[in-house]
Amino acid sequence: MITDLIQEIGSTLRGNKLRTTLTGFAVSWGIFLLICLLGAGNGLMNAFIGNMDDYVASNSMRVSGGWTTMPANGYQDGRRIHLDEGDIAVTEGREFADHIDIVSPVTDGLSATLAIGRKTVEGSVCGVTPSYMDIEKVVLRSGRTLNQADLQQRAKVIVLSSSQAKALSDGDIDDIIGQWVEIQGVAFRIVGIYVQDESSWRSFSYVPYTTMKGIFYPDSNVGSIYFTFHGIKGLQESEAFEKEYGAALKTRHDAHPDDPGALWIWNRHSQNIQMSQAKEIITIALWILSLLTLISGIVGVSNIMLISVKERTHEFGIRKAIGAKPRHILSLIIAESVTITALFGYIGMVLGMAACEIMDKTIGQKAVNIGFTEIHMLEDPTVGLSVALEATLLLIIAGTLAGLAPARKASQVRPIEALRAE
Amino acid sequence: MLIELKDINKTYDNGQPLHVLKGIDLTIGRGEFVSIMGASGSGKSTLLNILGILDNYDTGEYRLDGRLIKDLGERQAAEYRNRMIGFVFQSFNLIGFKTAVENVELPLYYQGVPRRRRREMAMEYLDKLGLADWATHFPNEMSGGQKQRTAIARALITHPQIILADEPTGALDSQTSVEVMQLLHRLNQEEGITIIVVTHESGVANETDKIIHIKDGVIGAIEENHDHNASPFGAGGLMK
Repeated sequence: MITDLIQEIGSTLRGNKLRTTLTGFAVSWGIFLLICLLGAGNGLMNAFIGNMDDYVASNSMRVSGGWTTMPANGYQDGRRIHLDEGDIAVTEGREFADHIDIVSPVTDGLSATLAIGRKTVEGSVCGVTPSYMDIEKVVLRSGRTLNQADLQQRAKVIVLSSSQAKALSDGDIDDIIGQWVEIQGVAFRIVGIYVQDESSWRSFSYVPYTTMKGIFYPDSNVGSIYFTFHGIKGLQESEAFEKEYGAALKTRHDAHPDDPGALWIWNRHSQNIQMSQAKEIITIALWILSLLTLISGIVGVSNIMLISVKERTHEFGIRKAIGAKPRHILSLIIAESVTITALFGYIGMVLGMAACEIMDKTIGQKAVNIGFTEIHMLEDPTVGLSVALEATLLLIIAGTLAGLAPARKASQVRPIEALRAE
Repeated sequence: MLIELKDINKTYDNGQPLHVLKGIDLTIGRGEFVSIMGASGSGKSTLLNILGILDNYDTGEYRLDGRLIKDLGERQAAEYRNRMIGFVFQSFNLIGFKTAVENVELPLYYQGVPRRRRREMAMEYLDKLGLADWATHFPNEMSGGQKQRTAIARALITHPQIILADEPTGALDSQTSVEVMQLLHRLNQEEGITIIVVTHESGVANETDKIIHIKDGVIGAIEENHDHNASPFGAGGLMK
């Protein structure tokens, strides 16, 4: 019976090429648009929001000193605040022990020329602790990272970025490890090279915090404090925590606890939440657009199904006169619409995914300079296979449902009326 | 009796009620070759549609082979039409996008006969009606006579009790009309199939053994007609 039905559908479809093509085109076009739209949307989202988790610990905060904007404790405003060892102690202390995990002081970046013999490169040198490397998710390319011994011994060692290493090396950039690089008259031994993210516009090299303090920043100031924290959920909690922490530090420096300028705090956790919210909104918008596109496809399919059933009334009359039962007519129409939508839906899906690949290979590769860095307009503008299949399936079901009403009507009409229809 | 009609009434209600059949009493025996004759609007097509279970009637009783045919569901009606009745229409009513053989085998498809068996039987019937060479042709590639013979093959393939022919020669030229009527006559003679022809042409009616005259929804005269050459219209089989 199944092969019979398939044959029956085959002969009907072959016999009605124009109608089949039109229906099929509506379906293919709907799915094609849907997939292109979702693909482009995904690409835009990937390009502009990116995946922050790859670069830094998302639950980290960076704090450094600023300028006061409110008079407090007898001091005028406009006073410079420098973080110091006491602030590190507070950060690591009992007050915030419930939330704060790893803490690392970081010196201000020292802009300097790095030189090996006659080869030089401009860069920024930071004094950091080994935990900083974890917080910032620095990925090592070769050699080793800084360790606790370096910190204790104030070792003159340095981890270069891959671009700096490339500029300083003669051939293979990994061979540079073990060589000495000169920074403002001080020689540092290169112990490692880290992978520099393409999107970062400045090249940092890292030396032990203690070494840096001892040689270049002999005062008691701490440039900034990086730390990770846990147990904070949602934007509100994150901001409350930031405020509480900031107030503790500001009070130490005789600044008003609500002074917005006294400290410069970069709360990546809040930022991430905001970004993921933005991402969600874009995703929802995309889905709404996609569903609207899908609806237009469904309307197209049902429209043609309706016309098709109407113009075939006479044929159904003949079929009924010679013994077709209502279910025969019903199953014929439905099987036909499923076949058409599935076949052409699949074609549309494949074409849509091909279009996404083309977008990826053309616009996706085109970088746009936005001043300090280059970005891609689209990054990986593709749609998951499951989403594509789901959309196609949805269209098939919808197309069938759309065809069901006229099909039911056609199957119920009395043969004598159907035979009279022209 | 194969067909028994008792006081059949049918009224169409399209804004204004139209009483089409006004108490039809009729019996047709197995193996008869009957024509129902009347002018247009006499109710003859309505009667045929009721006989073919294509349409309902309001009051009365219609028994086909002893079974009461009344207020059947579409499913049941389709089953009876498929098993017991073969239709031959004026406009052939072949499905245009199907070949001759596909058209002929369609009733068997609805009986669930396997494809190969279906195809064999359809070919057999097409061959019987001299259309074996036309099996893979589409209706629009055939002449009127060929189309009507294809339709007759389709009507015959389920071994029906009756063949109902609604103006079977209405769209054919006189020569082909003669051939089609002779074919029906032969089927009646050789296979013993009951055939009921609806027509308004006396020449066509003259080919049958019994002529039932219907006028204004009632049966007028029933005329035995065994001498087909007796009628001035029937001489030489020229009907038009």
